[in-house]
Amino acid sequence: MERRVVITACSAITPIGHGKAQIVESLLKGVSGIKPLREDQLVSRFIHSKVYGTVDYPIDYDFKRQYRKTMGPVAYYACQVAKEVLEQSGLPQDFITSGNMGVAFGSIHGSPTVQRDIYKVFFEAKDKAAYQSIGAVDYLKSMVHTTAVNITKMFGITGRVISSGTACTTSSQSIGYGYEAVKYGLQEAMLCGGADEYDTITVAVFDNLLACSTAFNSEPSRTPRPFDKLRDGLVVAEGAGAVMLEEYEHAKKRGAQILAEVIGFACNNNGGDLILPNLDGITKTLKLGLQNAKINASDVDLVSAHATATKMGDIIEAQAISAAFGDNPYVIALKSYLGHTMAACGAIETILPIYMMQDGFIAPTLNLEEIDERCAMIKHVQKVLQEPVKTVAVQNFAFGGVNTILLIRKFS
Amino acid sequence: MTRQEIESEVKKIFLREFEVENPEMDLDLREAYAFDSIDAIELLLGIEKFLGSELTQEEKKQAMDIRTINQICDYVEKLVATRKDAPGVN
Repeated sequence: MERRVVITACSAITPIGHGKAQIVESLLKGVSGIKPLREDQLVSRFIHSKVYGTVDYPIDYDFKRQYRKTMGPVAYYACQVAKEVLEQSGLPQDFITSGNMGVAFGSIHGSPTVQRDIYKVFFEAKDKAAYQSIGAVDYLKSMVHTTAVNITKMFGITGRVISSGTACTTSSQSIGYGYEAVKYGLQEAMLCGGADEYDTITVAVFDNLLACSTAFNSEPSRTPRPFDKLRDGLVVAEGAGAVMLEEYEHAKKRGAQILAEVIGFACNNNGGDLILPNLDGITKTLKLGLQNAKINASDVDLVSAHATATKMGDIIEAQAISAAFGDNPYVIALKSYLGHTMAACGAIETILPIYMMQDGFIAPTLNLEEIDERCAMIKHVQKVLQEPVKTVAVQNFAFGGVNTILLIRKFS
Repeated sequence: MTRQEIESEVKKIFLREFEVENPEMDLDLREAYAFDSIDAIELLLGIEKFLGSELTQEEKKQAMDIRTINQICDYVEKLVATRKDAPGVN
């Protein structure tokens, strides 16, 4: 049994805004969310990259104590977008708690802020009293599935829980595995997404791999620069994104607003190096996605590329896009506005193209001033296009050699 | 330490840790204030702090059936009685 899966709500907290109105305005005006890296009294002074995709606006949280007590910053983001998606979806409370709806949500490693506090106690503990200051809730705040289960707790969701923690493919897997759960009749709906909080340790990891941008420390908005000749690496970022996936007949029957349809998903592994991008592996993923969606390459009119702005990664991805889709689809790199929102990137980079589908425009890749000739074989977008978008391929690739693609279609 | 002082300390913990001001003495804590197993562990840590001594595993297990503020005060009263160096014990 294969069923159609539609998206009936979506929401995002990003470095360029919270919710559709702010985000679309930023995309149309070319606003960057990259800001100076904050001093963290720990590792920031050693990090060469001094930029970060920052959520620097207040968010009006309204969570009761019994929920807050198990939430680190990452769970605040996750529960906020989940709350907005549940409200927007209009799903009734008895359905939400029925067991027919599950959650697929993740982060790259729980709450690093809370983990840092725990390690601080371990390393500085001089007596048992200090050791005992590690509270009962610290693990619940910092564990890798903290986002998913804080959502289930807050909203009484009793269905399946999937919590992938596959770095940059975390939330594309959330949506993909949520899609499969609904498509094959295991659940009627899945609340899917990912989140990550402000974390300098993640920057340090990429910085030590020479993968972070360092050449634009004094002009943060000029980086990252996917596919541009002057690109010099990624910019780590924070944020969250969530979508409600629902079985089509279920959504239709209750008169739900349908934003888009998920028509395909594929995931594979390069089967080798855990860090280096792999042309064969990525190209296979993209082709598997087309097969899964039962569409031709020419049906795809927009590619949301993973495009982190690393030297090699962008070239390999451009080659893979060319091999799988030819030069037909427009290609955009949303990390140019946001930075790399890590576990949230798959969800956010699915939601922003949905906004474009709804409003009939394509946002250009920011900072793409001079296209690297090694990435020039695909159709880049350098200014806002007022064009209808029907089918989008959302691509994400992660440390560990994990590759994903989601195929999203305008609902008709 | 008098019963009144114990009650006052327990109420301080409830305000500080659980944001509950002047809890009713005989209400079921789970039903009235969404008090759960995580809170119970935090409460025991709070009790250890104000007693100034560690609770044994056996003593902690005895707390797991507690449902009301009055029962918490009974529990603390027993703990104080077994500790020579508890606050207010001469």
